[in-house]
Amino acid sequence: MIYLDNGATSFCKPLPVYDAVRRAMFTCASPGRGGYSLAMNAGYRVLACRERAGELFACDPEQVVFTGSCTHGLNIAIQSLVKPGARVVITGFEHNAVTRPLYGLGVKISVAGQKLFDWEDTLTAWEAALKKGADAAVFTHCSNVFGYILPVEEMAQLCKKYKVPFIIDAAQSAGVLPVSMKRLEADFIAMPGHKGLLGPQGTGLLLCKDSAQPLVFGGTGSNSLSPEMPDFLPDRLEAGTLNVPGIAGLSEGLAFLLKTGTAAVLEKEHTQAALCAKKLQEMGLRVFAGEHQSGTVSFLPPADCEDFAQILAQKDIAVRAGLHCAPLAHKSAGTLDTGTVRVSYGWNACILQTQRLCEAVAEIMK
Amino acid sequence: MQICFITFRSVTPAQRAEQLLKRSGFSCALRRTPRWMERQGCSYGLQLPLAEVQRCVQLLKQGGISYRKVYLLGEKEQAEEMTL
Repeated sequence: MIYLDNGATSFCKPLPVYDAVRRAMFTCASPGRGGYSLAMNAGYRVLACRERAGELFACDPEQVVFTGSCTHGLNIAIQSLVKPGARVVITGFEHNAVTRPLYGLGVKISVAGQKLFDWEDTLTAWEAALKKGADAAVFTHCSNVFGYILPVEEMAQLCKKYKVPFIIDAAQSAGVLPVSMKRLEADFIAMPGHKGLLGPQGTGLLLCKDSAQPLVFGGTGSNSLSPEMPDFLPDRLEAGTLNVPGIAGLSEGLAFLLKTGTAAVLEKEHTQAALCAKKLQEMGLRVFAGEHQSGTVSFLPPADCEDFAQILAQKDIAVRAGLHCAPLAHKSAGTLDTGTVRVSYGWNACILQTQRLCEAVAEIMK
Repeated sequence: MQICFITFRSVTPAQRAEQLLKRSGFSCALRRTPRWMERQGCSYGLQLPLAEVQRCVQLLKQGGISYRKVYLLGEKEQAEEMTL
């Protein structure tokens, strides 16, 4: 299998991730629920993961909240920061994980910046929208469809300049691009555990500047007498039993990244994505490529994108076709009617993957 | 030997504190806080010798690890809160 759908979930993971999940199943109970060794072990595994995340994302371990996915984290963040009727600025490249919670709240959404790979356009539109007045801003670090890396540091600076609280969706960037709570000073940064962070599915992280409103209420193993959720992190946002095997696996994914360095991962992914884009362009295909691009590249096939991806699947090549849960990004790029085929590389990107994909595409086009 | 008990609001700061103190060469034992000592219910604490408590608390403060209270343990469910 040539797996090029790392934008959906990374596959495969570094070997210690699998080992840690299995080990946790045998050696861990529920953290914070007892003084016996199985509960304590679980606590140590979970704490190790918080500390590694804190190191990678420059924050305190207690600012690291475990979620079930990036979507879960974004929902907590949005529900905490955005009130019904608020004015919210987003970019033209947001995922449904951002747009649907906002739509559900009935807020006034302003879309700023719709030109692909154009930082000047993004920043000009961003500032103009903030200047008009906004109660909150939510923006992606990197488009899941096109791999467009947005100028998040500058966008964060502008939010601070106009005193607009903001949330960053790091679904496609965590583990690949620099993400620092200290530098960005975001109110929240949400990310999945199973994509660039190389953990198992069903894991995610929400980095919180201060406190937040819980989405789920229940037992936390702390302040049990109170009918209210604890007022401190991470307990305030972590009701119920944590996914300890998943977190143990995620912890090993983070350890791998701390050792390897995210810059090395980006370099590998970007090199193959750029080569892939070049080869597909040489075949006469319309490829969405440009400056500020990650290891993800989208193209328009000469047939229906879903049919094209299905033929690639029959050749044992995994790509993603359609709207990628991001109709707004397709609207911005003018591909809402057609969708695209998306190739997304992972930490194990190599030239063999690019060659096999391009050979298969050429074969189909004959 | 007189024993002290530092209480924490949850397992996360308690285990952070335990690791910090052990890494710094102090001996301490992590356990659940006795029910009679913690009115809020469900928490963890560190047991350590009175002679080391001052330096340990200082380390926790330097490490940004928040604790709730420090007690000097007496006999039969008695403890005196300490101000450090």
